[in-house]
Amino acid sequence: MVTVDVAAPAGRIPAREAGRATPGRIVAWACLVVIILITLFPFYWMLRTALSNGTTLATAGSSWLPVDFTWGAFRRVLGLATLEEAQAEGGTGSAVDFWVYLRNSVLVAALITAGQVFFGALAAYAFARMRWPGRDAVFFVLLTALMVPPIFTQLPNFLLMRDLGLVNTYAALVLPFFFMTPFAVFFLRQFFLGISREIEEAARLDGAGHVRTFFRIIVPMSWGPITTLALLQYVQAWNEYFWPLLVGSERSVRTLTVALGVFRAQTPQGNPDWPGLMAATLIAALPVLLLFIAFGRRIVDSIGFSGIK
Amino acid sequence: MTSTVAVPAVRAPALARRTRRNRRETWVAIGFVLPTAFGFVVFYLWPSLRGLGLSLTDYQFFSETSFVGLANYQRLLGDETFWNAMLVTVEYVVLNIGFQTVLAVLLAVLLHRLTRSVVVRGLVLLPYLVANVVVALLWFWMLDAQIGIVNQVLSWFGLGPISFFGSESWAIPTIAFVNTWRHLGYTALLIFAGLVMIPRTLYEAGRVDGASEWQMFRRITLPLLRPVLALVLVITVVGSFQVFDTVAVTTMGGPADASRVIQYYIYDLAFERLDYGYASAVSVVLLVILSVIAFVQLRLMRADESDLA
Amino acid sequence: MRTRLLAALASAVVIAAVPACAAERPPAESGGWNDTGEVTYWMWDANQLPAYQECADDFEARNPDIDIAIEQVGWDYYWGRLFAAFVANAAPDVFVDHTSKYGDYTSRGLIDPLDDLIARDGPDLSQFVEGTPDLWVGDDGRRYGLPKDFDAIGLFYNATMARDAGITPEQMQNLTWNPQDGGTYEKVLARLSVDVNGVRGDEPGFDPHHVATYGLGIAYPPGGGSGQTQWSFLSGTLGWSHTEKPLWGTHFNYDDPRFQATIAWWRSLVDKGYMPPLELAVGNKPSQLMQAGRIAVVTEGSWNISTFAKLGGVEMATAPTPIGPRGTRATMTNSLADSIAAASPNKGAAWKWVRYLASPECQSVVAQGGVVVPAVSSVVATAEGAIGAQGLDITPFTRQLHEGTAFPYPAAQHAADVDSIMETAMERVMSGSADPSSFTAANQEVNALFTQG
Repeated sequence: MVTVDVAAPAGRIPAREAGRATPGRIVAWACLVVIILITLFPFYWMLRTALSNGTTLATAGSSWLPVDFTWGAFRRVLGLATLEEAQAEGGTGSAVDFWVYLRNSVLVAALITAGQVFFGALAAYAFARMRWPGRDAVFFVLLTALMVPPIFTQLPNFLLMRDLGLVNTYAALVLPFFFMTPFAVFFLRQFFLGISREIEEAARLDGAGHVRTFFRIIVPMSWGPITTLALLQYVQAWNEYFWPLLVGSERSVRTLTVALGVFRAQTPQGNPDWPGLMAATLIAALPVLLLFIAFGRRIVDSIGFSGIK
Repeated sequence: MTSTVAVPAVRAPALARRTRRNRRETWVAIGFVLPTAFGFVVFYLWPSLRGLGLSLTDYQFFSETSFVGLANYQRLLGDETFWNAMLVTVEYVVLNIGFQTVLAVLLAVLLHRLTRSVVVRGLVLLPYLVANVVVALLWFWMLDAQIGIVNQVLSWFGLGPISFFGSESWAIPTIAFVNTWRHLGYTALLIFAGLVMIPRTLYEAGRVDGASEWQMFRRITLPLLRPVLALVLVITVVGSFQVFDTVAVTTMGGPADASRVIQYYIYDLAFERLDYGYASAVSVVLLVILSVIAFVQLRLMRADESDLA
Repeated sequence: MRTRLLAALASAVVIAAVPACAAERPPAESGGWNDTGEVTYWMWDANQLPAYQECADDFEARNPDIDIAIEQVGWDYYWGRLFAAFVANAAPDVFVDHTSKYGDYTSRGLIDPLDDLIARDGPDLSQFVEGTPDLWVGDDGRRYGLPKDFDAIGLFYNATMARDAGITPEQMQNLTWNPQDGGTYEKVLARLSVDVNGVRGDEPGFDPHHVATYGLGIAYPPGGGSGQTQWSFLSGTLGWSHTEKPLWGTHFNYDDPRFQATIAWWRSLVDKGYMPPLELAVGNKPSQLMQAGRIAVVTEGSWNISTFAKLGGVEMATAPTPIGPRGTRATMTNSLADSIAAASPNKGAAWKWVRYLASPECQSVVAQGGVVVPAVSSVVATAEGAIGAQGLDITPFTRQLHEGTAFPYPAAQHAADVDSIMETAMERVMSGSADPSSFTAANQEVNALFTQG
């Protein structure tokens, strides 16, 4: 662990993290920069590959710039390229209905997030702040859901969806995640536990019931963690892979992640369309990225005074 | 900021109406928990029980199924591949949690102490926006032993080539690294949220007393971070026992079972070898192990109590 | 509280387990014989999609009351998704099937035998390249598909590197091999290997640990139970075969010294520096390494010929597999076919489509697509021409079928289990952590699958 040693002169409060270049701070900054570089480099590599020509890519594996620059991969992914163009650049004959998949992903992820956050918050509050018989036991049982290997539940769930006749519908994609994710309950409960009881008790004295206290006081106070959770769950739902592959492989409900699979090896031992895959990845990450840019500041800022202010 | 010590002084008047209120509170709580409980029962509990039932059979999807008692569990005891998979998984978990927790705490502290920049915080979360499968593919390609960019860079320093995914000793550490890369920002963000909730006054007081950053980290940050850290650890430990996507799209369990983690073994049994009954038995054992670990962890970390409330 | 809850849970488990067993009976779907409606068709090879789409358009023009909906699913996901679709009663009516997989579907009654339909409507099986229809007779003696194409194994090599090494195309066309010294095949591979100092593999001072270009490429995983593109064309020249009979054997021969000697020779290339260690092969495709100049020769299936023809920046050529000690070559050949799902409600229409897919009309379209060689004999020459026009000669592959040195893909029950056992065993041997004699133990494990029922 690197220590950031800012020895404070006794009796005086130093200016808040003022940028004094002590050796400790320099090391700390260096660490941060290295972490950020390792974080960002693969994204550059993605972009560089997405702008390369698939048929010549491997001739210059270590070229820092796109190999044989072309927009072809993006055109392929967006369905703008003709079959001949696509095949000439190492693409395949498979079509991509990008906008359909995008719509599906947005819809599915949004529904899942809404359900998880709303129901998760209700349950978390009941576990954190209300007294009722069997609370801890139920919470413990609920937590065990965290331990259940997804692969274990997914097949029986799949059989359930089949019996309900829901395979290849939005309902099948959303339902298993909609009502609960143990993580949401656990996450929000931790934050609700951190909220001072005084505020609640005060509200209770004013005659507010639990429902009103929750919606009028707790939720507005926890807006930060709730938005954070929503964003995290949205990303999670957006990137969900195995389940949509199982129940939503049909074109009309196929999500972007599943569609990305189309770009992987098409023939046994065949060459994957790397530029196409990377372009598709970048485009698929774009909506989430925009969301993050739009809400990121609010999330980060609001976390600061959630809970105890 | 209010004081960090909640004073339960206001409870006295409530005592009189206690019983009536408790009953109402119970009903409200049940209402709050109901949707989550429904999701739990239908999509976690029921499929788990169904899986448990199937683990006592020789279910192979389309052939006749018969009850075989504990035969699957007996077979498991003598199954070398299973024990190897357990060992490999534990190795992965230890490495992954090691990398991830230490780096995430470091990153969160760096972010907290060095910069208020939302942009920087956004950057570190970027990898999380990309689907697991794609992250795995991207690194699989960048770390390729013969044409990957990383080995190219290593060769400039006279190192390598290292077959990150191909060698039996590197495969698991590499997979752990790749997953750390994707989840680091996410984990750091959770910890960061916990850091922000620690009242600044404590640090100011610390400085007044002449404490170094390291002392403040040990005496203030770590103890107060415990609930959040407990959350993070439970989530990451249990989550990393379920590593699957990364292995599925890269090494497929190889070389020579060196990365055949338990989830992948289950998948292989269920979907490739269509031996679903036995696959269920292995899942049940995994489930039991995970529950024990999580339970012990929760107890050790005393996650139920928050030092802030 | 907690104990009571756990007790309740435990009893729930017991109650649930029993009906759960009863509920997992196989679905008694038998499908229907509608002659009209939508026929869904799955295939994995995106390169062939355009040709098959054209077939579908032609077919729809002739049969206005049938719609063909083609879905292409990449090979990596094909079988998993297909199986899930069968479980979900959402299987395609017709799908492209593989010799190594259809045993799983016949044994579960998921696909329909075609014997009666062929007897009624044709086609005459003599229209197909010899041997290809036989691959589709299951172990129950019934026919489950009409062959659509066939493949063979051969060498793809970097023509520029061969020229620079002083190796002529004639030499490449007449390589010899034996498990002792590797014959001219090994000499060529040695000659084509170049270390980081520019020393060739057959010259003194060659550094086998720092090789810039390896003579032969190796793919990961290294071949499983069949060794289709990796070693079967070598072991085949010794008279060795996987099982006691070509198709649906129940006894494997991995304990045979001929097989073990083949693998021992193959592995020795790694120590000599003529082939990369297996661990370096994880993650890359031979075609990429070929393009990057890291390997000079690769053994591959004819189905990948368009991948190699399209590789930018390298001049490629093809050659047949080497001649063995008994004076003949050997290649594994395989054929894909279209199977009809037993649960399809439109089996009448599905059969019409399958029948059309196997017809010379559709297959001549496929032949002109220049990706694979159709199994319909009359269009083989067209396909060879169309593929040749893209720059690579496919006759080094197909000649083995004309010369009678091809042997069929060893279809067998328990294929996934056999592969799983042999994959691990092969990786151990090729990575040097086990000796080729360890295959004897693996073979016992494999054969136990068949004796235990």
